[in-house]
Amino acid sequence: MAGFIETVRFSDPYFPIFVLLVIALVTAVGMVFLSQATGPRKYDKIKYSVYECGVDPLAPASERVSVKFYLIAILFILFDLEATFLYPWAVLFRSLGLFGFIEMIIFVGILMVGLVYAWKKGALEWQ
Amino acid sequence: MMTLEKFLVISAALFCCGLYTVMTRRNGVAVLMGVELILNSANINFVAFSHFLSRVMGGQIFAVFVIVLAAAEAAVALAIFLRLFATTGTVEVDTADQLRG
Amino acid sequence: MSLGNLASVGYFLPELTVTATILLLILMHVVTKSPRSNAFGFLSLVGVGAAILLSGIVPAGAGKSIFEGMAAYDGFAVFFKVLTALATLVVIFMTMDSREMDGRSQAEYYIFLLSTLLGMFLLSSATDIVMLYLSLELVSIPSYLLAGYFKGRERSTEAAMKYVVFGATASGVMIYGFSFLFGLTGTTQIAEIGRSLAAGKATLPMLLASVMVAVGFGYKIAAVPFHMWSPDVYEGAPTPATAFFSVGPKAAGFAVLVRFYYTVFAAPDPGSALWRLTSAVDWPLLFAALSAVTMTVGNLVAVKQDNVKRLLAYSSIAHAGYMLMGFVLLSPAGLKAILFYLVVYLFMNLGAFYVVILVSNATNGGEDISDFAGLGSRAPFAAVSLAVFLFALTGIPPFSGFIGKVYLFAEVINRGVYWLVVVAGLNSVVALYYYARIVRSMFLDEPTDTAAIAVPGVPRAMLLLMVAPTLILGVYWEPVARIASDSIRMIAF
Repeated sequence: MAGFIETVRFSDPYFPIFVLLVIALVTAVGMVFLSQATGPRKYDKIKYSVYECGVDPLAPASERVSVKFYLIAILFILFDLEATFLYPWAVLFRSLGLFGFIEMIIFVGILMVGLVYAWKKGALEWQ
Repeated sequence: MMTLEKFLVISAALFCCGLYTVMTRRNGVAVLMGVELILNSANINFVAFSHFLSRVMGGQIFAVFVIVLAAAEAAVALAIFLRLFATTGTVEVDTADQLRG
Repeated sequence: MSLGNLASVGYFLPELTVTATILLLILMHVVTKSPRSNAFGFLSLVGVGAAILLSGIVPAGAGKSIFEGMAAYDGFAVFFKVLTALATLVVIFMTMDSREMDGRSQAEYYIFLLSTLLGMFLLSSATDIVMLYLSLELVSIPSYLLAGYFKGRERSTEAAMKYVVFGATASGVMIYGFSFLFGLTGTTQIAEIGRSLAAGKATLPMLLASVMVAVGFGYKIAAVPFHMWSPDVYEGAPTPATAFFSVGPKAAGFAVLVRFYYTVFAAPDPGSALWRLTSAVDWPLLFAALSAVTMTVGNLVAVKQDNVKRLLAYSSIAHAGYMLMGFVLLSPAGLKAILFYLVVYLFMNLGAFYVVILVSNATNGGEDISDFAGLGSRAPFAAVSLAVFLFALTGIPPFSGFIGKVYLFAEVINRGVYWLVVVAGLNSVVALYYYARIVRSMFLDEPTDTAAIAVPGVPRAMLLLMVAPTLILGVYWEPVARIASDSIRMIAF
């Protein structure tokens, strides 16, 4: 413990933030603990029900996400990651010269074929 | 100070977590998450080695390729799990037991 | 000395042809109104045929390192390119003959098939671990989709799920091993890695790396204990795809296994014609053990199978075990035996699957041994062909499989690994039992349905084209053996 206190420097510019952190932690934990310890306990059916802005729950809490999101998300990730290859290429654009340019045109062209395929298959339509 | 050893320890821990996930989890999507952990542990190794040892870009380029392939693999795997869910109503790996012997 | 990017394009024509065919297939599928037409199959045939011709035309010579050291253009790579492309060609014919594919969209099937072929081309020539990993995944990812191609069928989807879970894990472990190789040597070129490892002494990370890489390759060639996916995938996948998996990716897996281990962990010995171990890792012993376990498990489990596809799956595991024997010997004759065995295995295994497809067409998807009962009277030609293929797979003279085994066994004896020969010999006896079971069912059992099975012209011609090499290579194998021994030259730059 002594070692820890020695390493804490009060002149450190982040020291107030540390103090704030401790106070916040103590307050939050203390409030939860206090209400647990001192509050009255009355349980009934309504209290156990799901809370949804004060009205009766409209749907089960674990709602399923439409599978359409999966398709859009996957397409986004794939095309997004292919763009990763453009960054190193852009950095070396001058030294790669015309060859690098044509090579990247081919790469993007192949990607375009993939996009056309996805488009024609209706993967980009929401309905 | 970040030394090479720290990166290697982190990546080894990540690798073990990934392998443990793959071997113990029954949910297909969770297994896939374990695979992603394994791949990312390798990525940490590549980038760390590349930075600390060789000063060549090979490792970092490798990491980029691994990331892209991981995405491609995840896309295919998720599509397959989706199909499995549509036919059997579950993505639990061990309920798929039509094929055995 | 490695060639630059532009200068390399001339040595890359087969790959470019396949790539162009894939893009054409996609565009054609997008434009056309009838996704079920056979036009996709014919276009793929043309593309793959052109790729075979181009692979054969450009002479390999002493070999060149192309694309700044990313890939090799040598006899070894050309051999595997022709081999895998031939397998793909036969599988395309099978697909067009298979009734399983009726009423389904064909285009994507061929796109996946040709993407896998492109991956196998690159895999057999990769000399950089980045390239190696990329091409391995290019083989794997379309394979997952091929296995699960039958959308509504539960078994097909389950096969794809098992394949993807095993495949992704194995390649993940392999890539972690690669990261250590990179860390130990600071380079991604396998020749550089080999030189650098030979100079150093760090054994524990090296051992770890070599074992982890073995997991990835072992999964690809379905060696025990990384074989668990293969029976399920083989049974659930469309039968033409199963035939493809059992030959194509397996051959490419052997190509990369040999090239990687013989370059990274071994070097040609200047004193003799052999290779010598350059690292302290005794991987030949590891793989010798894997080989013995693989053939034993494959054969013993095959005995209990009733589904013919599943039986052939275990038999192909066993054959991978036989071929691994040639891999552990570090001698040119051992490698030559592997290459020769792969050629005969291509014909006999694809032929056997061709008959399975014909029977399945006639019996409404029947794949059990009981569905083969009385085939001898229902379709004599197909039954006799299958009997030839099965006896060749067993390794009985005078069929080609026997010569393949003789080459393998002789070299193992020559190098003094007697225990392995004993295991392999015992295994061959077990194999005879389960192959003969199918033959007995075909010729001795009474069929439930005695109607003759018509074998149309194309399958008949294809079967003949498979039977002929299986018989001829059993008595006159010299040319192929010479090609095999010419093709073991790998470049080490």
